[in-house]
Amino acid sequence: MFNVSAKQLTGVGVFLFAIFVGVPLIIGATGRWDFYFTLTSVALLSIASAGVWLTFYIGRINIGQGAFALIGAYVSAILVVKAGWSFWISLPAAGFFAALVAILIGIPILRLRGVYFAMITLVLTQVVTLTALALPITNGAKGMSSIPLPSGVSLFGIPILPDFAGMENTKLAFYYTACILMIVTYAALYRLVNSRLGHLCRSMQQNEELASSIGVNIAYIRIVIFAISSFFGGIGGAMFGSIAQSVYPSSFQVVDSVNFMLNCFLGGLGYVFGPMLGTLVLYFGWDLLFEFGKYQMLIYSTVLILIIRFLPNGLLSLRIGKGGDK
Amino acid sequence: MQRRTLMKAALTAVALTSFQATSALAENTVLKIGFVGVTSGPAAAWGISNQRSMEARAAWINETGGYTIGGTTYDIEIVSFDDQKDPKRAIAGMEKMAQEGIHYVVGPNVDDGAAAVRPVAESNGIMYFPYAFPKSLYQAPASNAVLGMVANYQSGPSIYKYLMEEKGVKTVAFIAANESDPLSQRDGGVEAAEALGLEVVSANVTYQVDTTDFTPVLTPVMRAQPDLLVLSGVSPANAPQLIRSARELGFQGVISTETAQDAGVLAEGAGDLANGFISVGGASTPELASPMMNEFVQRYTDMFGEYNDESNTKVYALEYILETLKADPAAITDVDAFKAAMDTFEAPNPYMNGDAKLRYVGMTSFGQRRQVAVPLVVNVYQDGAFETLFVAEVD
Amino acid sequence: MEQILANGVYLGSQYAMIALGLTLIFALMNVLNFAHGQMYVIGGFVTYTFYGQWGVPFVLALFMSCVTLAILGALIERFLFAPVIKGSSREESTMLLAAGIAFFLDAVILLVFGEKQRGVPKIVDGVFNYDFRLIMPYDRILICVLAILSIVAFIGLMQYTKTGRALRALAQDRTAAQLMGVNVDRYSMIGFALGAMLAGLVGGLLVTITGVNLGMGGPTSIKAFMMVMIGGAGVISGAIWGGIILGFMEAIGLALLYQYGDITYLLIFVSLMIFLAIRPQGLMGKPWG
Repeated sequence: MFNVSAKQLTGVGVFLFAIFVGVPLIIGATGRWDFYFTLTSVALLSIASAGVWLTFYIGRINIGQGAFALIGAYVSAILVVKAGWSFWISLPAAGFFAALVAILIGIPILRLRGVYFAMITLVLTQVVTLTALALPITNGAKGMSSIPLPSGVSLFGIPILPDFAGMENTKLAFYYTACILMIVTYAALYRLVNSRLGHLCRSMQQNEELASSIGVNIAYIRIVIFAISSFFGGIGGAMFGSIAQSVYPSSFQVVDSVNFMLNCFLGGLGYVFGPMLGTLVLYFGWDLLFEFGKYQMLIYSTVLILIIRFLPNGLLSLRIGKGGDK
Repeated sequence: MQRRTLMKAALTAVALTSFQATSALAENTVLKIGFVGVTSGPAAAWGISNQRSMEARAAWINETGGYTIGGTTYDIEIVSFDDQKDPKRAIAGMEKMAQEGIHYVVGPNVDDGAAAVRPVAESNGIMYFPYAFPKSLYQAPASNAVLGMVANYQSGPSIYKYLMEEKGVKTVAFIAANESDPLSQRDGGVEAAEALGLEVVSANVTYQVDTTDFTPVLTPVMRAQPDLLVLSGVSPANAPQLIRSARELGFQGVISTETAQDAGVLAEGAGDLANGFISVGGASTPELASPMMNEFVQRYTDMFGEYNDESNTKVYALEYILETLKADPAAITDVDAFKAAMDTFEAPNPYMNGDAKLRYVGMTSFGQRRQVAVPLVVNVYQDGAFETLFVAEVD
Repeated sequence: MEQILANGVYLGSQYAMIALGLTLIFALMNVLNFAHGQMYVIGGFVTYTFYGQWGVPFVLALFMSCVTLAILGALIERFLFAPVIKGSSREESTMLLAAGIAFFLDAVILLVFGEKQRGVPKIVDGVFNYDFRLIMPYDRILICVLAILSIVAFIGLMQYTKTGRALRALAQDRTAAQLMGVNVDRYSMIGFALGAMLAGLVGGLLVTITGVNLGMGGPTSIKAFMMVMIGGAGVISGAIWGGIILGFMEAIGLALLYQYGDITYLLIFVSLMIFLAIRPQGLMGKPWG
């Protein structure tokens, strides 16, 4: 089960301390308040990227996470605006709805592999965007704007979650929320990968026929993994919608789907925390290059090409000089 | 390991260049004005014409000694952020503006971005000037957005009315890209046309934004044989091809749009087939352009090699911000003072001949003054240049 | 009806050419080249610069597009893709490289050629009009014919020359080809250059009709992916069929479904998804990639 060494425990401790205490301290000291939103975005996008990483884990290239993020964002927005739900209930609902869609779509398409699966998920992103444009419940082209901020939650009169609308500064609140969600996601991911299911996934990644022949129900595992993956996408998207207080058909599109996939590649497909690092570098990197004005894109892409040229297995492959740990 | 050395070298190089990027500053106090919009990728043309207008004007002001507001002379610095037409990035851009202590921002260029930045702008005390049309951005309780141009639901009716009276247009067809902004504009256009008593013969044909060949798209529209074909929210890249395809399919009627276009692009993409094409522009037709407008065009051209006619409408936002600040210097740090000044603000329009005024309008459309009064100049394209068809006012 | 068929043939032939280059690269190296659309755009801008700006004869400008892209393709393969493929434990990693190159080329195009839509003077004037039932401008007919000729020439090259045979062997089985004495590194580079050159050629041809702008790259790549998938990944005839089918699908879809307005494209994409789910290998492809 949880075979954590003291070293890993320290690592996790340092990481938690860094994001919950270190980052706010540094931001407070330097006055770079704008980094809160950027880091919140990184946390949310890395949740969705974690889902993509998980589908990579069963050997599928997923360019459809944008679709599930958009579904999640719309489900949450519709529940909050039209049905009057609390955001905190709509958040898991968005995840479950995305997972449900994933199950329905996954049954026919998860048989496909390699680029074929990649292409069909890419088309899926287009389909969801176009559906959002065409449906009346999503307000079509006009999108949904002026979504209220998450309201407070209290159990037996004891406030559990604060009311975001009453806050002076929602940045910090969103930052902490996003970070907690991210940590839960990656803890779940880590747990999953190191479980029996994760073991079966690895055997599928190498050879599905072989895995099937030794009695693994591969069809079932594929669906479960894809549903979990899309759940993450839905959560990330819903949370984003609540920060922007608006959702449009173009909120998540093909570019986003591709970016989620790139985050995984950049971090390294062999490492659970790869997508988190990949998202940080790709998303935060763009912001850091802001000073370069019109050369921003040029420098960004050059750095990207250099990284992949010299570290083709992802950033985290730097770490393994002493032998592979997969 | 060689790999490590290379990484180190690359990091050092990046660090070094970032130091060089910090350029020298002038003696005057610097007043920063922001721009958040799309300057890379497919829609780059929208944001770039915007950003360059601002930069050209700022360079001009700085070269001639700065801009005096309340006794202090400022150098204007434009801080631009590329949002890649992604609402998520647009929020980050607005946060960046707040970080830089900026209270006045031009952009974003599209509906979703403009809606997404609203919470950030309102909580950080930023007035922003989007080029997006949804009314909810400008109606109360929203109060920090100021529409930077004439909306299609304002220009459309006057164009249709003109065409009905002057050209005897009776039937109209709409075509739009399958994307939020153009579709909303089409819906607005259809509503306006029907209110005027025009017969809408085709309004549901759409095309994907990535379409490069419009003949199949236009074929069914042409069958309806409208007198007027409206290209709703058409991007400057698509306009010449749509015109060309329509004319090649034998369309004889009038073609119009409610967005700004560039004469050079039309000339290259459609040539003489674009003659008679009606679009909305600023004040750079020879009849209307003031000497200052001509100088602006000249400076822009010198600075960037080539002028873009879309900038005719985009030169105004920065001018409005500065003039309003001049009217109430307290507004430099206090957005509420700016809002108060908006209700009474009036200054001569330097870019247009005659006695046109800069003032804030929008009472009819939004119930509050949240729109810059840009002259509604309706242009017609003829042999490589725009000619003024008529000029109207928005209230 | 005649009009729809003519539109289909015209769209199909140009789509097929775009898909050919992409599928060639995919067949040889298993690389999904995200930068294909950007290469097409560069091809368009090169022809624009030579023909539209400097007044060089059109054919020569087209040739310059081909040469530029072939060199660019060869360099990208030699210095980027080849080493990354060698060093990577999962070959999908090349997708990140391809995307990085796409970003890079986009940035270069913006800096060098600017953000505006560009067009060139028509190469032939006039419109072919058969009783208003079939309308087709002469320049479109010419481009369509040129596209078909290029496709035929490409097939000829692949079938009857030594290079073509080597490339086909490489596409079929890399290891076997190597054992049979094919210089794999060299022919991978040639193949990539050839694929990039096709993108440049079609970009140069189409700039006379549709013009060119910075934003066309990404969407063109995605459209090309779809065609390749319809026909079957990595199969030359598949790319041609995929292009023609997508061309006809658009022409017919738009003609029949236009009254449904906003959902026309939704229907097209949904049917594409259903088709891919039922027949994942496309029309001609080998199953399971």
